[in-house]
Amino acid sequence: MTEIDCEQVLEQVWSYLDGELGENAYIEIQAHLAECAGCGPKYEFQRKLFTLVEQKCKEGPIPVELKQRLFRLLEG
Amino acid sequence: MGATLLAQQRETTAEERERFSALVGEHLDGLFGASLRLTRNRTKAEDLLQETFLRAWRSFHTFRPGTNVRAWLYRILMNAYIDGYRKSEREPEVVDHEDVDEFYLYSKVHESEDFRRAGNPEEVLLANLMDADVKGALQGLPEAFRNVVILADIEGFSYKEIAEILGIPIGTVMSRLHRGRRQLQVKLWEYARRAHYVGAERPSGGTGGGP
Ligand SMILES: [Zn+2]
Repeated sequence: MTEIDCEQVLEQVWSYLDGELGENAYIEIQAHLAECAGCGPKYEFQRKLFTLVEQKCKEGPIPVELKQRLFRLLEG
Repeated sequence: MGATLLAQQRETTAEERERFSALVGEHLDGLFGASLRLTRNRTKAEDLLQETFLRAWRSFHTFRPGTNVRAWLYRILMNAYIDGYRKSEREPEVVDHEDVDEFYLYSKVHESEDFRRAGNPEEVLLANLMDADVKGALQGLPEAFRNVVILADIEGFSYKEIAEILGIPIGTVMSRLHRGRRQLQVKLWEYARRAHYVGAERPSGGTGGGP
């Protein structure tokens, strides 16, 4: 098994979090993150930051009255 | 004969309408949220959503069943947005932070005396960022970056889907996403620093006898 170093791992952390890596790369990085005291916390922070951004920017459901108005457009 | 044909047409339309409603209905919450984030204005968001809805209905015959309906709808949304709403906006200045890496925010909180004193600097930061801070930071991004960040980080599309939605190569998606995320971190750090989450100004929790 080829060892990847911290720099390579950190470079790919976003792609890793985005689920955009191939299976082998994914497994290698996962193993590294679980063991590395340097990369682990940095990864955790990124993960939490992504979750935070998603939660804070979510908007409520579409108002019922707007939804009804849209569907009425189809009948015209 | 004429009357039969007309009746048949009417039936097709009713059936089509039903298929369209079923297909699109479940994505309206997401499209409405995306419209709000893009236009940053309730009235404009409603207009954009209506335009998207009508364009989708008009081109529904071109939609191939079994393909990615959500990506199809977002492509229509982004096109409608770009056609109609972008022109009136004032574009934030594109500042590229070459020196900023993926871990800018993490490094900043760790370098900060105030945050370090607070014990767990990352947690303090994340716990104190307000909805308005994050929304404000997102809104402050240059359009091209912001659109990609919205599609990836809030709508959850893959790089490939975003490339299709925006009609740009995957490499461009990644570069815009990375630059947008870095810039977002710079902006979040500005909010965090300005808001004094930590430091002397903050009233104590009232437990008395602090350090
Ligand atoms: Zn490491």
